[in-house]
Amino acid sequence: MIFENRLCKKIIKTNRPRRRLTFDVIDSNPHGRIFSMRPTHTGTMSKLKNKKRNLEENEDEQLPIFDKDGGKDGPHLDDGDEDQGDLSESEESVFSGLEESGSDSDDEEEEEEDEEDGSEEKSSDVEEDKTDRQLSAKEVIKPQTDVQNSKEKKKKKKAAGKEGGEESVVADRDSGLQISSQVDEYEHDTSDEEDIRNTVGNIPMEWYKDYPHIGYDLDGKKLFKPIRNKDELDEFLDKMENPDYWRTVQDKMTGADIRLSDEQVDLVHRLQQGKFGDVNFNEYEPAIDFFSNEVMIHPVTNRPQDKRSFIPSLIEKEKVGKLVHAIKMGWIKPRRPKETTPQYYDLWAKEDPNSILGRHKMHVPAPKMKLPGHEESYNPPPEYLMSEEERLAWEQQDPEDRKLSFLPQKFACLRAVPAYSRFIHERFERCLDLYLCPRQRKMRVNVNPEDLIPKLPKPKDLQPFPTTQSLVYRGHSSLVRSISVSPSGQWLVSGSDDCTVRFWEVSTARCLKTVEVGGAVKGVAWNPNPSICLVAVSYDDTVVLLNPGLGDRLVCTASDQLISSYEEPEEVKDQLVQWAVAEGEGHEQGHRLILKHPKAVRQVTWHGKGDYLACVMPDNGSSLQVVIHQVSKRRTQNPFRKNKGLVQCVSFHPIRPYFFVATQRYVRVYNLIKQELTKKLMANCKWISSMAIHPGGDNVICGSYDCRLAWFDLDLSTKPYKVLRHHKKALRSVAYHRHYPLFASGSDDGSVIVCHGMVYNDLLQNPLIVPVKVLKGHTITHDLGVLDVTFHPTQPWVFSSGSDGTVRLFT
Amino acid sequence: MSQVQARFFTENKKYLVDDVPFSIPAASEVADLSGVINKLLEANNDGHKHVEFDFLVRGQFLRTKLANHMETENISTVWILTGSYDKTARIWSMEGKAVMTVAGHTDVVKDVAWVKRDGLSSLLLTTSLDQTIMLWEWNSERNEVKARHCCRGHAGSVDTVAVDPSRTKFCSGSWDKMLKIWSAVPTVEEDEMEEPNRPRKKQKTEQMGLTRTPLMTISGHNEAVSSVLWMDAEELCSASWDHTIRLWDAETGGQKSTLTGNKVFNCISYSPLCRRLASGSTDRHVRLWDPRSKDGSLVLLSLTSHNGWVTAVRWSPSHEHQLVSGSLDNVVKLWDTRSCKAPLYDLAAHEDKVLCVDWTENGLILKGPSTNHQQVRKLLTFTYMNSFN
Repeated sequence: MIFENRLCKKIIKTNRPRRRLTFDVIDSNPHGRIFSMRPTHTGTMSKLKNKKRNLEENEDEQLPIFDKDGGKDGPHLDDGDEDQGDLSESEESVFSGLEESGSDSDDEEEEEEDEEDGSEEKSSDVEEDKTDRQLSAKEVIKPQTDVQNSKEKKKKKKAAGKEGGEESVVADRDSGLQISSQVDEYEHDTSDEEDIRNTVGNIPMEWYKDYPHIGYDLDGKKLFKPIRNKDELDEFLDKMENPDYWRTVQDKMTGADIRLSDEQVDLVHRLQQGKFGDVNFNEYEPAIDFFSNEVMIHPVTNRPQDKRSFIPSLIEKEKVGKLVHAIKMGWIKPRRPKETTPQYYDLWAKEDPNSILGRHKMHVPAPKMKLPGHEESYNPPPEYLMSEEERLAWEQQDPEDRKLSFLPQKFACLRAVPAYSRFIHERFERCLDLYLCPRQRKMRVNVNPEDLIPKLPKPKDLQPFPTTQSLVYRGHSSLVRSISVSPSGQWLVSGSDDCTVRFWEVSTARCLKTVEVGGAVKGVAWNPNPSICLVAVSYDDTVVLLNPGLGDRLVCTASDQLISSYEEPEEVKDQLVQWAVAEGEGHEQGHRLILKHPKAVRQVTWHGKGDYLACVMPDNGSSLQVVIHQVSKRRTQNPFRKNKGLVQCVSFHPIRPYFFVATQRYVRVYNLIKQELTKKLMANCKWISSMAIHPGGDNVICGSYDCRLAWFDLDLSTKPYKVLRHHKKALRSVAYHRHYPLFASGSDDGSVIVCHGMVYNDLLQNPLIVPVKVLKGHTITHDLGVLDVTFHPTQPWVFSSGSDGTVRLFT
Repeated sequence: MSQVQARFFTENKKYLVDDVPFSIPAASEVADLSGVINKLLEANNDGHKHVEFDFLVRGQFLRTKLANHMETENISTVWILTGSYDKTARIWSMEGKAVMTVAGHTDVVKDVAWVKRDGLSSLLLTTSLDQTIMLWEWNSERNEVKARHCCRGHAGSVDTVAVDPSRTKFCSGSWDKMLKIWSAVPTVEEDEMEEPNRPRKKQKTEQMGLTRTPLMTISGHNEAVSSVLWMDAEELCSASWDHTIRLWDAETGGQKSTLTGNKVFNCISYSPLCRRLASGSTDRHVRLWDPRSKDGSLVLLSLTSHNGWVTAVRWSPSHEHQLVSGSLDNVVKLWDTRSCKAPLYDLAAHEDKVLCVDWTENGLILKGPSTNHQQVRKLLTFTYMNSFN
């Protein structure tokens, strides 16, 4: 049966292409041809006719149902091919009918709308309707005949179905087993090409002649031959008695007997007679004249143009001739020899920069994956395996921070490697990489970080500045806290913890004078006025004004005169500080005035005119930290009522009546005339140690114990214009040069750093600060290095005093 | 050295001559000396018979020419004048004996100079931190020194002094940026009109000598003058802390030209033989200048070997290529300008800073380089200030 079935199908298949050739354009369904043609004509049908037709079609719809009811076993039996064909036909008719009605109703609605909308045009439309109706009346005849035809067919089929039913009953009776196998057959029959109940394949079956089985089923079990013990007599009897003997054939593959159905028999007959296998195929269909004189917009055939119509181009001929000539002459190699080596796409190759894409400016090649390394191996070298700590660290890291996204592991063999659990995840991330990675080249300016560093002039170009140690002033036996140079630059005074003040000749480092005082000297300051020769020395709670008697005799005597010419005012005020004139031995040594303060004095500094002297007595709890003395009138005043923090150092403005007070963190600038706070500079450091005012008066440098040097531009801001961190230890002292654009800082690390600090007259130009030299020479004793630095007033020389008891001159 | 001052002693009363120094030609031999003595004795005593004498010079018999004998026995008539931070100047003999101490300044003596020596008396100058220059007259025979003049006028320490070639004037440079030209001729009358009836003043004059005022004051330097010298009788040269060397017309006091350096100048020296200026400054280099070049400063050569400031430099009076330099690195170097890369000799005997160097006049007659070496060192040993304390 299957064999037959297959045969039928083959026939149908062979039929189908033919039909397709003709009706390809309209529908691929062989049976839907007639009905699908219909809607082209039904567009103008009237309602009435449609209703009639709908009724008829309703009948059509019901028919197959009856048909199914009638032939109960029909669909299940092997004769379903015909039934299927009928069924499909009926179904298609049903569906097409529905379609028709749907499309008709649409058309009608449109027409109705047209009627409603355009009542004026009715008169003109009516005539057209009439003609339409006439036309349609002619056409309508056809469907009716069609319907009649189909009715007749179905009646026949009913009869056939009844016959088939009877026959099938007989077949059931004969071979009950077969039915079940047939039922199974459909289950297995996934392919309509091959019968795969027997898996031996296309082999001569006589090979199984001597075996009890004929092959193997899908489960690999033997297919046994049906018991066949018929002899000639049985065969004869069967021939005589069995009415279906003539239609029984043996299936070679299974060895079973198959009784052919009526349809199959009919098919065989038809083929024997040289007819089409398909019953429904009408050989003599009415011809449709496709090829008319009318020119259609769509070509009817897709056939390529025939060669007859080809007119060879002369120009092309010429070109071809040239090419042929060139090939003959060997100018052109017609064919490149094929490369025999296999070509692979190198996934990890870098993109060729000369390729079209590469040459494209904005092209960004897709990011390549990293090539697997040893750590990805299933058996990596031991150095790639993580130790316990490394593994812990790896686990504690964020997944984004990890160097490796996995832990390298060692397996005995490749077979022991488990499935990679993160495979999907990794692929997904790779896709994200490809998808999300920016494929646009941003026009970013490539900046070399070194270019961003401001172009500082070379120290060589900033000469002169001190470069070498020239002289060492030896003599003090303890650390030298403070030094000061006379305004002429000929003498240097230094105060030391060994309770002496020494006066040195700058050019030869000779100590000309040693004055002993009653305590460790904390500060010395030479009067900056060149017409006064006085040195203020502070030790313990005393400030002594010394006349060293150096320099011009006239100046020295004038200074003595200035002090001795003082006349006591009539009203004696109570002063904060006791003024006393030195007498006796002290006077011989040069002491002139002795000022007894209530507290220890740490720093003394002169005003530029040389009359006022400011003293610092650091004390956190009192408001009396700074006092200003006027030497000519022997008056003392406390400029501040409030304590604003521990005062570190003070300084007078070189030109204007400003007074700078540095506390631990701030530098306050007071206007002495207006008696108000003008500015408060934030030093951004923990503890200011020293301060110096630029001779121009608009810039201040502060050294701090936390190794910083802050440069303030008073016009710019209250915050440091620049902070220099060149020293490794606390800064002890800073100083400006009076003429040269130089400043220096001394630190506990034993070095003096000289910087070029150019202040421009142009307000728009910021100061230029260039460190130029590190001067070393002092030895560090008791963790202290350089304690004081000061510049020579006229030469680019810097003096530094250190804890090793020496003063050094760098030139 | 053609004449030598000499005295003659004898134990024998019979042949005693006056105990005064006589000027004797250096080339004289024993016979010449005998002739001199015999003539002296004849002058005193008519009945004197010619006697052949033999001479002991410092316990040695004189057998050759006097000059040769002095050379071989290291007997010299060269005196060395030094000024010191102990406020005195000293005159030393070549043997290293302090012959005379010149005390009178109230402060450190900064510079000294011989004005001239005629016969037994010589004139010398000392400048001091006390802003004065003193002109002394030293009688080498009687070995006494007398202050002739006290030159007042500077307002700072007088750091340098130079006597002009005619030995009649001298120029001083001071910290007060001034150059002053003074007369070097001692006079009896007081230059200044002073009231005579002031005993204190007179007493002071006795001690200090007559006060003298400058003939001319030249100003132009912006900083202290560190060194001054006479190029010739009309031209002065001065070096200063303002990084310049200036040439002045000594007659008018006008500035002729300026040589600008970039460091403070400590000292300069001029050689009439090669007509070059040598300068020592507050760096390691000795620089040679051509003072005649008008187009600004022109350093002809830099001699670099010192490790400290060059504090003293001096051309050889007899050799046009040699100069000597002293530095704060305790070393004195002898240079030949024809080998500018390295000095001829390093004279490293000092244990402290070298502040001043000078040549002896007879450097020329010392022939062998080794003796020259020794001689120069000997000379220098007296011209430095050994230690301050």
